[in-house]
Amino acid sequence: MNPSMLGLVQNETVKLLRRRRFLVVVLILAILIPIFTYAQYRSVITTQERMGTTDWRPLLTQQIVDMQNRLASSRLPDEWRDIIKIRIQQQQYYLDHDINPMAPGGPTFARGFMDQTISMFLPMIIVILAVDIVSAELSEGTIKLLLTRPVRRWKVLTSKYITLLLFTSLTVVMTLFMAYSLSGFVFGYSGWDLPVLTGFEVAGGELQTAGAFMLPQWQFLLMQYGLGWFVCLVVGTITFMVSVLIRSAAAGMGVMMAALISGMILTQMASSWESSKYLFVVNLQLTDYLNGTLPPIKGMTLPFSLTVLSIWAVAALIVAYTAFIRRDVTS
Amino acid sequence: MGDTVLAVSGLQKTIGKKQIIHDITFEVLAGEVFGFLGPNGAGKTTTIRMLVGLAKADGGDIRIGGVSLRDNFPEAIAQVGCIVENPELYKFLTGRENLEQFARMSGGIAPERIEEIVRFVDLERAIDDKVKTYSLGMRQRLGIAQALLHRPKILILDEPTNGLDPAGIREMRQFIRRLAEEEGLAVFISSHLLSEIEMMCDRVAIISHGKVISVGLVTELMEQFADQVEWTISAAHMQKAMDVLRRHKAVTEIAAVGEDRLKTHMDMERVGEVNQALVQAGVPVVGIATKTVTLEDLFLTLTGGGEK
Repeated sequence: MNPSMLGLVQNETVKLLRRRRFLVVVLILAILIPIFTYAQYRSVITTQERMGTTDWRPLLTQQIVDMQNRLASSRLPDEWRDIIKIRIQQQQYYLDHDINPMAPGGPTFARGFMDQTISMFLPMIIVILAVDIVSAELSEGTIKLLLTRPVRRWKVLTSKYITLLLFTSLTVVMTLFMAYSLSGFVFGYSGWDLPVLTGFEVAGGELQTAGAFMLPQWQFLLMQYGLGWFVCLVVGTITFMVSVLIRSAAAGMGVMMAALISGMILTQMASSWESSKYLFVVNLQLTDYLNGTLPPIKGMTLPFSLTVLSIWAVAALIVAYTAFIRRDVTS
Repeated sequence: MGDTVLAVSGLQKTIGKKQIIHDITFEVLAGEVFGFLGPNGAGKTTTIRMLVGLAKADGGDIRIGGVSLRDNFPEAIAQVGCIVENPELYKFLTGRENLEQFARMSGGIAPERIEEIVRFVDLERAIDDKVKTYSLGMRQRLGIAQALLHRPKILILDEPTNGLDPAGIREMRQFIRRLAEEEGLAVFISSHLLSEIEMMCDRVAIISHGKVISVGLVTELMEQFADQVEWTISAAHMQKAMDVLRRHKAVTEIAAVGEDRLKTHMDMERVGEVNQALVQAGVPVVGIATKTVTLEDLFLTLTGGGEK
């Protein structure tokens, strides 16, 4: 009887859990989400105190006025001017249709959390999960046990990749669950049906509100976490390749961290370097397309970013499999 | 001796631009312990890596139980149990969890087989402890349990006594003999120690610079070097001593080693008699030593003293 893929995935799952990688991920979430919850709580309290009211309408009106004032300043760079114009249109829409965009509540917090974490924090967590999934076997020498059994090398690597995909998916689900349930202590658990405005399109630096429509928040969250899941799969796949190529977990972690951080810096200053839009790290902020925020570089759209990310992931897999199957194992 | 379990022919391997393995050919039979002897750097570990599928051969053929390792890797490797260098195990898992990992990787292993192998290597008490709490000897035994779990036809061990204390070495030696004699397993052992091969193995392949320079029975190999006695005699009496020894019936061969030493091939039981003859002839004997063969002697003889 040949060893089954199910058995191999079971092996990898046992190892991943017993190395406590997933525990670390859950602990990080369990510590950071309450911190963010408290920070948001403070900012809600502060604005309420400043405005002297708990009503959000004057608040929103005030924000619109603030932004209009900034527009009046002549020193404002052009890109900023575009962004602010779009924001004002958006806020005005919320006001006109009686939608509280900041309505606190578990689901709203979960939405904000994904917006804030999709390009940096969540990918980092996935890197923790994935960075030594292959390299630990190489550095500990246990790779010899895997490769001297009657299982072809591509199968060994596939079992690891499937396990990684499973735990990446689980991490995204855990993020939603924990963001909702932990912040709900403070903000309450309601708000699934709150209407959220989406469907903005940006064409030539102009916000097209023609396609905009209303979605219940739970549907919006589903779309948003779906995009987050996709980003995590891509980052996981690229980290998987790094894990095959770099034996030291610390070095692999460094490479991925450098990539993610430089991606964050590039998105803030890359509008003049247009071809940087083909880098995967510049395309991670997918939820911005749902929110109607201007992309960091002109010409970037959701289908464009999804395509770039997919190509990177496929290329990473090809490199990972080729290197793993060809390699001679030495001590 | 049984059937051929492992057949290696014309094996070659180049790493970078340097050819490490030139031509390795030998066969290992069921029920025998086969030694793979050579100095460090001769290509032993590289060869073993190719035998177990960790590295790919650039030329030549490896067949295990008649199945080509290159063409049908799963079926060929399923018949192999191995420990390459140290027994590498998952230290954060218990002994039992480690064995379960290998069972799932081999397929078709009943839970009873795990119990059986744990008893066989005498690890019943520690099997549910984490491997990081194990001593080296215990790790070695768990490594062997792992290698034998799927009932292989051949066990491949790379320097199995490395790092063990004398008691551990003796235990390992008996264990390996038992596997070959009672279980009919073929055991392939690499070593750079001639004494170890002499004590454990039935046959031996001697390799040097990536080539097999001799394959044969260990007893036959050692015979060439048996019954050697070295005599130390003062330089002034060398000629006389040679005459006495040449005339003596117990001595079959004489060679001068340096200016005050002689090497003889002779009947070991008659050393006293020969000594008496020398003394009676007025040759003062300073020292008598039975010669132990070293790997270097072996190489000098096999390569005609030339190649270094």
